[in-house]
Amino acid sequence: MFLISEAGKTRLTDADRLYEMKSIVRKRRSEAQHSYRQSERRLRIYLIVPAIIGIWMVVGFPLLYAFYVSFHDYVLSKGGLGAVNLANYLNIFEDTQLLVASKNTFILTFSVVSLEFLIAFGLALLLNNKRLHGGNIYLLILLIPMLMPPITVGLIWRMLLHPELGIINYSLGLIHMPQPAWLGDPRLAMITIIIVDIWHETSFLLLILLAGLTALPDELYEAAVIDGATSSQKFRFLTIPLMMPTILVAVLIRVIAALKTYDLIYILTRGGPGVSTETISYYIYRVAFVFLDMGKSSALSFLLLVLIIILTIILMQAMRSEDTV
Amino acid sequence: MLISLRKNIGLYITHAILILATLFVLLPILWVARTSLANRLIAYKIPPVWIFTPTLENYRTIFQQYPFQRYFLNSLVVASVASLIALILGSLAAYSIARFRTGDPVLRLSMLSTQMLPAITLVIPIFLLARLAHLWDSPFALILAYLSFNLPYTIWILIGFFQSIPVELEEAAMIDGCSRTQTLWRVVIPVVLPGLLAAGVFNFILNWNEFLFALILTGRDTRTLPVAVAALWTQQGVQIGAVSASTVLVVLPVILLTWIIQKSLVRNLTFGSIK
Repeated sequence: MFLISEAGKTRLTDADRLYEMKSIVRKRRSEAQHSYRQSERRLRIYLIVPAIIGIWMVVGFPLLYAFYVSFHDYVLSKGGLGAVNLANYLNIFEDTQLLVASKNTFILTFSVVSLEFLIAFGLALLLNNKRLHGGNIYLLILLIPMLMPPITVGLIWRMLLHPELGIINYSLGLIHMPQPAWLGDPRLAMITIIIVDIWHETSFLLLILLAGLTALPDELYEAAVIDGATSSQKFRFLTIPLMMPTILVAVLIRVIAALKTYDLIYILTRGGPGVSTETISYYIYRVAFVFLDMGKSSALSFLLLVLIIILTIILMQAMRSEDTV
Repeated sequence: MLISLRKNIGLYITHAILILATLFVLLPILWVARTSLANRLIAYKIPPVWIFTPTLENYRTIFQQYPFQRYFLNSLVVASVASLIALILGSLAAYSIARFRTGDPVLRLSMLSTQMLPAITLVIPIFLLARLAHLWDSPFALILAYLSFNLPYTIWILIGFFQSIPVELEEAAMIDGCSRTQTLWRVVIPVVLPGLLAAGVFNFILNWNEFLFALILTGRDTRTLPVAVAALWTQQGVQIGAVSASTVLVVLPVILLTWIIQKSLVRNLTFGSIK
């Protein structure tokens, strides 16, 4: 309306009128765009703020608090937060128990991840066979352990491995084999934990590796067959390089998880006999909730965190260099 | 003839190895299921009794002598509330990151990096703070603790799901007159429903199986199942029957749940609106 009356008064030419209309349209559009963009900006902030507050509450703040505590004397049995004390960190290098726990953790992590990987990759290759019937039934059963909490896995194996009441030693006796004290013998306890961990965690690697294998492009294999490649050549020059990213991610996830092993130790041996199966996580648990030393345990737990971060970075570097090859 | 035999030998070996592996996995589980149905005498008997009339005696024990119905309820409430809260907050945040690249890549990578965090590093301060806030021995502390891994995981997973929705779908809805919020509720959320379901179930299982936080943050009445089961072993020697029955009680719901969800997941994906 405004436009028409304006135009009537001043007798603008068509070109002028067109120009004016265009500029108004442009202005209105940019206004609309501006308010749209602003409402969008507001929306994206509204959407993300609750989650950020949540994560800050349950992760960020507790971590900062633990960092603060780790520089203080804080033994629950002697009262609350005490004076600033760097000893929590400085004494780490003289802590022989930590040394033992670290050694155990490395032995456990290295053994379980390498063995589980070999078993899982082997099974995944077998299951990936297109001529194999009933593969799904095998898979369905092989994946069950993944769904079980470590506590129940530990309990099941404790019952099976019980020196007098367990079915395993009874069966070994039937075929005149030695019947060892699986969890009571310091030389054997760690091996037993490794076997139980393999039973429990191999299924996770199997799932990831099999998913990776089924996603590999068939065309490459067909081309390789046409070029006269043998099965071992196909495996060496196609499967391994194509699977490398999946393998590294799967191994990385397992290494991180294995370094934190706690539940299985708690239920199977409580770190014993002696300290022969004590892992870093279990040692920190003991310092915190048996000796009630919150300062020292917080410091130790940050050490574990740093260790995991360093190993992750190393493995990720390895991943990147594999990608460029 | 010879060639087909040679070909099949490979398959036979494959089956043989897979059967061995399956037995290694299955036998311990079956043994526990069997022991959970045996009466007190038979459960302890070595050499084992192979044929007996099954009884629910052990299940009666854990529900009558120990309050396992309460532990079951505790587990159910804590696991589902935490995973539900994570789903609501997480899906909104994931949408914001996926669609508007909010805080990308710092925010996105920090979600992933929380997965490196050892539970023991977090459980000490959460225990101390819960004590200060008088939240110890209550389900609230445990729900908050579970959010520490549920929330980042949900966001991380759902970013991928949201990114897989074509922007055109949302633009079409907005041209038809939907506001951003309406688009989010009426178009985006229904499309990613399978993803939400998957993330929710995954978190639920993680929470249901979690042990360390539950051990530290709960007391006698707020215990979850894994803590209760673990306590059963140490209380009065080895109660093989009760331990077996409670193990079945913890494990069976999760296996059934994954089985049901797996089917509905497939249905959602095939009949969903992305085609």
